[in-house]
Amino acid sequence: MQALLSFENAPPFAAPLRFFLTAPLFAVLAGLLLAWNGPQLMASRWMPGALAATHLVTVGFMLQVMLGALIQILPVVAGANLRHPLRVARIVHIGLSGGGGLLAAGFLAAIPWLLSTAALLLGITLLYFLVVCVQALASVPSTSPTIRGLKLALVGLAAVVGLGMLLAFELAYGWSLPLAALVDLHAGWGLGGWAGILLVAMAYVVVPMFQLTPGYPARPSWWFPVAMLLLLLLWSGGVLGSVEWLVQLSQGLAALAGIAFCVLTLRLQGKRRRARADATYRYWQLGLTASVAALLMLLVSVLWPAASELDGWTIGFGILIIVGGFLSFITGMLYKISAFLTWLHLQNFGQAKIPAPAMNKILSDTDCQRQMVAHAVALALLLAAVIVPDWLARPAGLAFALANGWLFWNLACAVRRYRRAQADMAEKLAAL
Amino acid sequence: MTTIRSFMTDDHRRCDDFFAEAEQAIGKNNIAVARAAFGHFQSSVLAHFECEEKTLFPTFEAKTGMSMGPTQVMRMEHQQMRALLDDARSAIESGDIDDYLGLAETLLIMMQQHNMKEENILYPMCDQHLSAELPAVLERLEMELCDE
Repeated sequence: MQALLSFENAPPFAAPLRFFLTAPLFAVLAGLLLAWNGPQLMASRWMPGALAATHLVTVGFMLQVMLGALIQILPVVAGANLRHPLRVARIVHIGLSGGGGLLAAGFLAAIPWLLSTAALLLGITLLYFLVVCVQALASVPSTSPTIRGLKLALVGLAAVVGLGMLLAFELAYGWSLPLAALVDLHAGWGLGGWAGILLVAMAYVVVPMFQLTPGYPARPSWWFPVAMLLLLLLWSGGVLGSVEWLVQLSQGLAALAGIAFCVLTLRLQGKRRRARADATYRYWQLGLTASVAALLMLLVSVLWPAASELDGWTIGFGILIIVGGFLSFITGMLYKISAFLTWLHLQNFGQAKIPAPAMNKILSDTDCQRQMVAHAVALALLLAAVIVPDWLARPAGLAFALANGWLFWNLACAVRRYRRAQADMAEKLAAL
Repeated sequence: MTTIRSFMTDDHRRCDDFFAEAEQAIGKNNIAVARAAFGHFQSSVLAHFECEEKTLFPTFEAKTGMSMGPTQVMRMEHQQMRALLDDARSAIESGDIDDYLGLAETLLIMMQQHNMKEENILYPMCDQHLSAELPAVLERLEMELCDE
């Protein structure tokens, strides 16, 4: 409840901003790595380059934005105030950026101590973040499906990080664990249990409220995060007990649940009452379509396991769900939240005496839509590169780097305009 | 059962409807209809603010003793939205569509994050603390919103 007490308790802009500006740079690195490594990176999911690029995107980009945004929105959505948000942001940002970089380097160079240092650094950082969030959320009752979803997503975060650390130590020290099954489970917890549940919890709020669609049906909304978590626990049980059919069953049901959510969201968006299709909306549409395609692939590989042995199947699935799905959702929402935060902070800065420039003066939708075209082209090239890696792997890597460099540019320009507007307002305030 | 949360949330949605109407009219280049819809939107939002500031918040504050707490922040946000409403109003009146769209987008997000705090946090608190006065409070809110 503290969160509502005053604006002074709201996190300063610097808290989430550092995450938002760093994230695209990690994606640029992933693109450059593909351009440099070329077709061999796409030969299999086990290539050092593929592992490095995947984690540059998931830890460096996705996790970065998700944690930065959580620090910002926990007070708004759940009324849960983090104590010392700027300090939390500084610590988590350094740990995450350092850990993400070391992890990628560790995969690429296959140096055990790098991998284990990265795992420890990421583990400690995220444990700290989890403790801070649990403290803030402990006294908050789950009065909405979003709050419940947020809490359950944190369980997913703990699981994906725990498994990730285990796997990093296994790679570093050659423990004899069932690597493939654990890597799948790690990805399942990361994409389904953490990113997936978090996305769904946020969608309950952002889709109806900002696109003016009908609300999500109440009962399924309450149950979806719980069901997803239970399915991941079943999957984990299947891996622990080596019960293959249980693993398959839970994967298949999780894919179906994901498809149901995406189709439902597409239908709700079809009923939206906003007249204009802005970049955020288009990014959502792209993300939902790509996610449905990816989850159908998952379903096919459950029903017909030989499919995942096909050349490029797993890499293609990964590109569709991560670049096509999550990166699209995240970038679309990132534009909106960044523009709104610049306005909100300028508004407060003006003390109701000097008006703040509207959001579109700080970050124009045209710029965002142009960048989105670059993202869509990069996605298409990446998918085509799965089929003809020799020709397209390097151009796809460059295109992906370019799209994310552009994202960085758009955000950096918004920050520059924000600073300029603030200086301008300071002058006017002084002259009053 | 009607609660403060459900009643006031419904009113938020009613305001959203007018907002959407104005934006759709702009999309169809029908500025006259857009102005009328924005007029409805502005008066509904102002009536909503008014009944919160005159009835709901003071009742909550008297009962809980929290006069500098959440209701104070909500009042400040109302002020910010009043300013945005005025700016958007003058933009649409002078036919400056690009400015209007920018202000309307800002207003929508400001309004929705404000609604979120009320619907998820403040209204449930009201329902909890004002359970004894609930029928009377609801009746007054209903009357004030109908008067507008």
